[in-house]
Amino acid sequence: MLEIRGLHAGYAGSEVLHGIDLRVGEGEGVVVLGPNGHGKTTLLRAITGLLPARSGEVLFAGQDITRWRPDVIVAAGVIHIPQGDLLFPEMTVRENLLMGAYHGPTWAGRKARLSRVYELFPWLENRAGQLARTLSGGERRMLALGRGLMAQAKILLIDEPSLGLAPLATQQIYASIRTIKEGGMPLLLADENANHVNGLADRVYLLETGMLVREGPAEQLLKDEALLESYLG
Amino acid sequence: MHNTQLVQAVWGGVLFGSVYGLMALGLTLVWGAVRLLNLAHGAIFIVGAYTAYWVVSTLHMPILVALPAGVLVAAIFAALMHVLFIRPVIGKPGFDNATLVATVGLSISVSAAVLIIFNPEYKVVPPVLSGSQNVVGVQITNQGLLVIATSLALFALVYLFLTYSRQGMAIRAVSQQRDAASLMAIPVVRTYGVVIAISGALAGLAGVLLSPFFFLNPSSGFNPMIQALIVTIFGGLGSVRGALVAGFVLGLFESFVEVYLGVAWALPGVFLLIILMLIVRPNGLFGIGEVRRL
Amino acid sequence: MAVRAAPARPEVDREATPWRRLSLGTAGGVLLFGLVLPWLLVRLDIGNFLVVLLILFFMQAVVAQSWNLIMGYGGIYSFAQVALFAIGGWTTGVLAHSLGWNPFASILFAPVVATAAALLIGLPTLRLRGTYVVLLTLAFHELTRVFAITGPRFISGGGYGLTIVPGFPLGNVSNDQRLIFLYYIAMVIFAIATFVIWRVIYSPLGVAVTALRDSETYGVSRGINQFRVRLLLFAISAFFTGLAGGYMTHYSTGISTSVFDLSRLIDLLAMIVIGGWGTFMGPILGAGIVIGLDQALEGIGDYRALAEGLIVALIAVFAPQGLWPALRGIYDRFLGPEPAEPQLAAEAEADSSAGG
Repeated sequence: MLEIRGLHAGYAGSEVLHGIDLRVGEGEGVVVLGPNGHGKTTLLRAITGLLPARSGEVLFAGQDITRWRPDVIVAAGVIHIPQGDLLFPEMTVRENLLMGAYHGPTWAGRKARLSRVYELFPWLENRAGQLARTLSGGERRMLALGRGLMAQAKILLIDEPSLGLAPLATQQIYASIRTIKEGGMPLLLADENANHVNGLADRVYLLETGMLVREGPAEQLLKDEALLESYLG
Repeated sequence: MHNTQLVQAVWGGVLFGSVYGLMALGLTLVWGAVRLLNLAHGAIFIVGAYTAYWVVSTLHMPILVALPAGVLVAAIFAALMHVLFIRPVIGKPGFDNATLVATVGLSISVSAAVLIIFNPEYKVVPPVLSGSQNVVGVQITNQGLLVIATSLALFALVYLFLTYSRQGMAIRAVSQQRDAASLMAIPVVRTYGVVIAISGALAGLAGVLLSPFFFLNPSSGFNPMIQALIVTIFGGLGSVRGALVAGFVLGLFESFVEVYLGVAWALPGVFLLIILMLIVRPNGLFGIGEVRRL
Repeated sequence: MAVRAAPARPEVDREATPWRRLSLGTAGGVLLFGLVLPWLLVRLDIGNFLVVLLILFFMQAVVAQSWNLIMGYGGIYSFAQVALFAIGGWTTGVLAHSLGWNPFASILFAPVVATAAALLIGLPTLRLRGTYVVLLTLAFHELTRVFAITGPRFISGGGYGLTIVPGFPLGNVSNDQRLIFLYYIAMVIFAIATFVIWRVIYSPLGVAVTALRDSETYGVSRGINQFRVRLLLFAISAFFTGLAGGYMTHYSTGISTSVFDLSRLIDLLAMIVIGGWGTFMGPILGAGIVIGLDQALEGIGDYRALAEGLIVALIAVFAPQGLWPALRGIYDRFLGPEPAEPQLAAEAEADSSAGG
């Protein structure tokens, strides 16, 4: 589904990603683990076109999307759920969700998709008329997730879903992500925390200073406590 | 006697209020979406007015044709301004500087241009509705009623547009959280252009509707723009509701000051009021943005 | 160990920027040239006209520099400059005409009153963000303009301004000599203003201002009080602008309400933008260019404001640094001194030669 070869990317004057090779198969849940500042967000932004790649390739469903514009990448179904939510604070829950379906063809089917998102997250429907900025941290995170689903996603790239959340909210968000994955959605999750990704991850990569240092099936890597401790501290 | 004064003050206030609101609406929309302080707003105002004048006096068309012509030309002018002077610096660190200076420069160019094309003599633009009613000695002009009605109608229209239409929601999204808007594949720069064009149309409309009330001349845009600025800031930068409310508050305030204290006190009075607001509540009535205090 | 309480003051690197070291030779030479010039010019036919232009240049350059000090350096988007100029001019005009003061005495009050007015608007305004400064200073401009036109007769002169203001009492001298004396007064004002502004820009205060302008959070974290700095700059700018206004009133024996015309504003803005926004020499260069071009393109009349407005807009968007940095770049590349050898190489040499 998603294949990345030799990706180099960075910001003005410095390179953050030094040759990333990664893939996500159909219906697979792939987790990229790594401490903060090592390039997880950069990776996701480079894939979705928010950051131009310096070299390398990003292939999705067989197409080379490396140089595509962000809105075209969104149209192709590669949906990025950013760190920190980035919700529209003065818009209601419902309006935020609708904005997720803004792009061209997705707009037409928005009502239908809205119902489906409400099925997945019933409490969102309860709060449909509430302003986004009045929601709690966990609720916002789920709204961001729901908004991502509105865009006819074929793959979800999720950046640090548990960032800034209390333990209960954290559990809930991962539970929701698990539900989405069980529906067959391929996932690429970037996370700092290995604790919650059990049941989500089929494969795990370890990212360190812009390079992938380990790769392996989730059961193996996630059980290796020693490795994780030395790596993630 | 007192009745006349009161009615005069209220009528003036409501009329000014709708005018200010109309002028401020465009300004506040552009600020909200683009974070641009459009000092060429007054120039676009007179572009609309002079276009209407030209259509009436040179093409000998009725004012009802001149009105949409003025609005259209103003909108096009605004769009051109966006493409030539705003778009090139979007995202660059010198954006604020460049756009401030550029809009000032453009404003003065437009003033000079209309001075050259038409001459400095005052022009008379015919009203869309003529005639008036006399209410306890106060002239309630029909054009004035039209202005009030149009202003309120436009506010309602803009509100509906922003709330329910796809483009309107996109504009709100861009105003609130630009990065997320990009993430939703909302074309941010094109949205800027749309907002600027709409704001231009509003300014042009105000220009055509208001010019019968004064003698149109090349520096006619300056004052309305300052008023618009004051109202926008008073109501809160970026707030549509604020523009409406502040427009009427300031309009009534100014009108009452004029009627009961004299014309000379109007501008200083408003000046004092805005300073007071900036001290007490720098965000304005409904502002949501941050205003730094040193 | 006691902790030093004073905020750190950044050092100005003199070696790296040779143009900041004003050599006494250059300054003296320029000064001498300036002193002698008018005597030479009056011998020519058009000489008197050129001296008049120079006087105009001096005064415009003072105002342009003052405005650039707050806008280009300070990042304060003030549009009060013209109003402050007018306040200075009117102050001395009224004192001289209505109260019969000697212009040399009344002119001293021009900068004082202008500065007082500036502080008055500065106190509420300078604490706030850029947009609000724009609004409040524009409103101030408008208020001043309206007051000048519709105010009491001794100020408004019936709406035209002050038309009978005594000129500088320079004694019983020939026209040429009078012109030269007027030139000298203008030159002295220009020299003082330029010197003070130069000192401010290249002082720790100036460096602090640039630090604030480029990165506010850093500047504030280093202990620089932004509000007080802005107020100081605003006051200095108003002082010299008011002084220039006062001079022009006595020079022209009057001041008209046309000083508030937008065409004057765009002139000043053009000087700063064309010359070099936020640089020291920029406004001076710009003043020369705008005045020179205006003379060269005498016939264009109303097209002037049109052209200036467009040029200002285009430069602001496409070449925001203006002319001076471009010229300086050319100077550096082709005429300037070689850059100093890096410190390490010099030390290494010294070490090797000393240590053996």
